[in-house]
Amino acid sequence: MKIEANEAIRQATAFESCTLENGLKILVKPMPGFTGVHAVYGTRFGSIDRSFLLDGRRVDAPAGTAHFLEHKMFESEEGDAFTLYAKTGASANAYTSFDKTCYIFSATSRVDENLDILLGFVSKPYFTDATVQKEQGIIGQEIKMYDDSPEWRLMFAALQCLYSAHPVREDIAGSVESIARITPSVLYQCTDAFYRPENMALAVAGNVTMAQVLAAVERAGLPAVRNKGSVQRLQPAEPAAVAEPWREFTMSVAKPMLALAFKEVPPQGARAALKTALVCEMLAGLICGDMTPLYRRLYDEGAIAPDFSGEAMLLDGALNLVFGGETARPEYVRGLLLEEIARLHREGVDEELFTLCKNQTYGGMVADLEHVTDVAAGLISSYFRGWTPADELACLASITKQDMDEALAVMLDEARSATVIIRPAASGKEEQP
Amino acid sequence: MRGMPRGKGNCMDQRTSIAPGVWLSRLDADKFCRQRIAISFLWPARRETATAEALLSMVMERSYAGCPDMTQLSKKLARLYGAQLDVDIQLRGANRQLTVAVTGIQDRFALDGENLSRAYAQLALGVAFTPVMNGDTLDPEAVAIEKGQLREQIESEINDKRLYCLRQARRRLLGDAPEGIERWGYLEELEDITAEDVTAAFRHMVRTACIEVVCAGADADAVRDAVLHTLQGVQRAPAAPVPFRAVPAAGPGRFAEPLPTVQGKLCLLFTAPHVATGQDLAAMRVAVALLGGTATSRLFQNVREKQSLCYYCAAGYAVTMGMMSIDSGVEHANAAAAEHAILKELEALRTGPITDQELAETKRALINQIAAVGDSMAAREAWWMNEILLGTLLTPDQVSAQIKAVAADDVRQALGQFTLAVTYSITQGGAAE
Repeated sequence: MKIEANEAIRQATAFESCTLENGLKILVKPMPGFTGVHAVYGTRFGSIDRSFLLDGRRVDAPAGTAHFLEHKMFESEEGDAFTLYAKTGASANAYTSFDKTCYIFSATSRVDENLDILLGFVSKPYFTDATVQKEQGIIGQEIKMYDDSPEWRLMFAALQCLYSAHPVREDIAGSVESIARITPSVLYQCTDAFYRPENMALAVAGNVTMAQVLAAVERAGLPAVRNKGSVQRLQPAEPAAVAEPWREFTMSVAKPMLALAFKEVPPQGARAALKTALVCEMLAGLICGDMTPLYRRLYDEGAIAPDFSGEAMLLDGALNLVFGGETARPEYVRGLLLEEIARLHREGVDEELFTLCKNQTYGGMVADLEHVTDVAAGLISSYFRGWTPADELACLASITKQDMDEALAVMLDEARSATVIIRPAASGKEEQP
Repeated sequence: MRGMPRGKGNCMDQRTSIAPGVWLSRLDADKFCRQRIAISFLWPARRETATAEALLSMVMERSYAGCPDMTQLSKKLARLYGAQLDVDIQLRGANRQLTVAVTGIQDRFALDGENLSRAYAQLALGVAFTPVMNGDTLDPEAVAIEKGQLREQIESEINDKRLYCLRQARRRLLGDAPEGIERWGYLEELEDITAEDVTAAFRHMVRTACIEVVCAGADADAVRDAVLHTLQGVQRAPAAPVPFRAVPAAGPGRFAEPLPTVQGKLCLLFTAPHVATGQDLAAMRVAVALLGGTATSRLFQNVREKQSLCYYCAAGYAVTMGMMSIDSGVEHANAAAAEHAILKELEALRTGPITDQELAETKRALINQIAAVGDSMAAREAWWMNEILLGTLLTPDQVSAQIKAVAADDVRQALGQFTLAVTYSITQGGAAE
C-alpha cells in the first residue's frame, strides 16, 4: 500500500497541535470550504476508571460515575449549559464511553462564544445533594431504556462472561443501585483526579483556526490551571480464564441473538496497541465479513441477518473479539464460527481476502476524515490512545498477511471463549438445521 | 416538478431534465473525501405491490448483471476501497422511493491512480437498471433467499421498542391510506410472492417512476449519457408523484400493548387539516422545535428535566402527511402523568405566552442546523430530495430566511391546527385495549 506517498492523504490527515505547560493538549484541523465547526473537549475518564489513588488515598467510585459526572457537568450555579448554548444556536451534547468522556458542540456561527461556553462549564464542577438526587432519577430512566435494547444487553452479557474483575463488565451508565451510591463528594474526587489539564484534550475541526482556539483557551484561563496532587489509576487483576462460558436469558425479541466472545491478552504500549487494534478489526472481517465463505453460507441458509458481524474491543487491560447478531439458529451458527476459526488456525488467512480487507479498511479511514464531527472525534480519540490518524494509516500499510497469521496463532482460543444467547421471551426452542 | 432556481446559498450546481421524467443534478463535492452517485426512482405507492417492491430492493442490493454473485459484488466493493452500495426503499407520503446509491472515496485518494468515479457510476447504473435475470425474470434463487431476509427484517421490528411504538401508532392512524403502506411490505403476503411478481415490480418502477440522479463528485456528463443510453430501450410512461396531503382526522383512539419491557413507551399522533408549505412550513418547524425539538424545548425542560417523567420526549413533524408526533420513554407507572404533562405543554404553547427569548433561541438553533446542511453529502442530498418532493426547491438560505420571519402568533397558529388522533403505549402488563 502506497499510502504515505499520497498527497491527498497527507493533507487530509494533517492537523495543528500544541501542548500547554500544564499538559492540556490542543488539536485543531482547519477544513477549508466547510461552514461548521465541531469541538470536543474530553478527558481520559470513562466507565472503566473506577479505582484510583488521589494523593495516595484510594477512591472506589460506584459503577456509572463517569457517565453520571458527564450529566452533572452540564449544570452550574447559574443554570445548565444547554441554556447558554441556546443563546448561540449551537447544538451541544456529551458522551461517555469505556475510556473517555467528551463534551461537544456543533455550530455554524459564533464559534468564539461557543468555545467560551464549552471551556467554561467543563472547568467549573458544581454538585449538590439535590442536583445529584434529581439526576439519579433521569439516569435511572436512561438505564431502563438500554435494558430494553437487545444489542446492548447482548454486548454487556458477553463482557460479563469474559471478565470477572475488569470494570468493562459493568454497564457504562452503571445500574440503578450503583448510581444511588454516588454523592457530590465522589464526583468532586473524580473531577480532581481526571478533569485536570494533563488528562484532557480539546479538539476542534472545521471553519476555525488554531489562533481562534488558543484565544478561547486563554480567555477561559486554562493555561493557569494547575494539576493538583497526584493520581494513579488502579486496575484489578484479571485472570486469563473467562468468568462464565455460557449464559442464556430471554427478552422481548423476534429471533434469538448470539454472541460468541473471545478473551485475548491486551498488548502493552501505544504502537503495539494500534497494530493489534487493526489486526483484530481485520481478523473479524476475515472470519465472518460479507466477503467470506462462512458469511455467504449462513446468509444463503437464512441463518443470519445482513448485520451479523464481528468486532474487536481494545481498552487498558482488556482485549476481546465478539462475533454475533440475530440468528434463528444460534447453536448452529456458533458451531460453524468455531469451525471456521479452527480452519483459519490451520490454514492461515486467505491472501486475496486479506488484501481486499486492507483496501476496505483504508477506505473506511479515509471516510472518517471527511466530516467535521468525525475529524474532531478522531483527533481526540487517537490522541488519547497515543497515536494520530496518519499513524493509523501508516500502520495499516505496514500490516502483512504474516502479521495476521501470527496474531491468529495465539488468538481466538475456544477455551477462552464465552457464548451468550438471548431467546425470545415467548418461546425458547431452537429450530433444527 | 419545476426547474431549479440558482439563488444565493444554492447547494446544487445544476438540476436539468435529461429526458421525460428524468432529472440529473450535480453537486460540487471537492471538499469531501468521498463522492456519491444516487439514482432515485419515485412513483405512486400501491398497496398490492408493496411486498414485492420491498423484496425488489433487497434483490437489487445483492447483485446485478455485471456482477451476478453476491460475494463477488462484496469483493468488488472492497476492491474499490470499501465503496458502499445501498439500495433503500421507503414511503414518501403516498409515493414509493427506491434509491440506489454508491458512495466511495474520491479519485485523489486512490492508491494506484484508478478512475474510481467511473467505476462507481458503472456500478450504480448497473444495479439500478440491469438486475440479474434468469430468462425473463429476476433470479428465482436470489428472490427466495431474500424472502427469508425480508421476513427477518419485518419480524425484527419489535426489537427497537421506540420505533415499534411509533410505527404501531401510525398504523392505527393511517389504516388503509396510501401513506400507511408498509415500507417492508406484509408478512402474510411474503410466502406467495414469486420472482415474476418482483420482476413485474422492477419493470413497473423503471417504466413509470420519475428518476432523480444526483452526482456528487461523479462525472455527471458520463452518467447522463449512460442513463439516456440505458433508457433507450424502455417504453417510459412516467407518472407524476402524488403531492403530499394531510391524513384525514381520526379518533381520538387509545391503544395499549403489553410487552415484557423495562421502560414504557408513549406515542401521541396529531393530525392537521392541511400539510404546511412555504412560510407555514417554516412556522411549523419553529413550533415543533419549540415544543420538543431541542434540549431547551418545553417538553425537554419541563417534562423531563423539571418533572423527571421521562428519559426522552421529542416532537416531530411529518411534512409528507401533515402529522405531528410526540414520543416518549417513560416509567410504566408514570405513563399517565407524562401524557397529561405533554398535553399541558402543548396547550400552554397554543394559548399561553411565548417569550421573545425562547422564540429567538429556537429559530437560532434551527438556522444553525440548516447552515450545516452543506457540510454533509448525505444531508445535502436529503435536503434536495425533500425540496423536490415538496415542489418548492428552496435552498437552505431561503428556508433560514423564512424561519427568521416566524412570529409567536405563527407558532400558536401552527400548533392550534392539531387534533390528537392516536395515543399508543407500550405497557408492562395487563390486556391490550
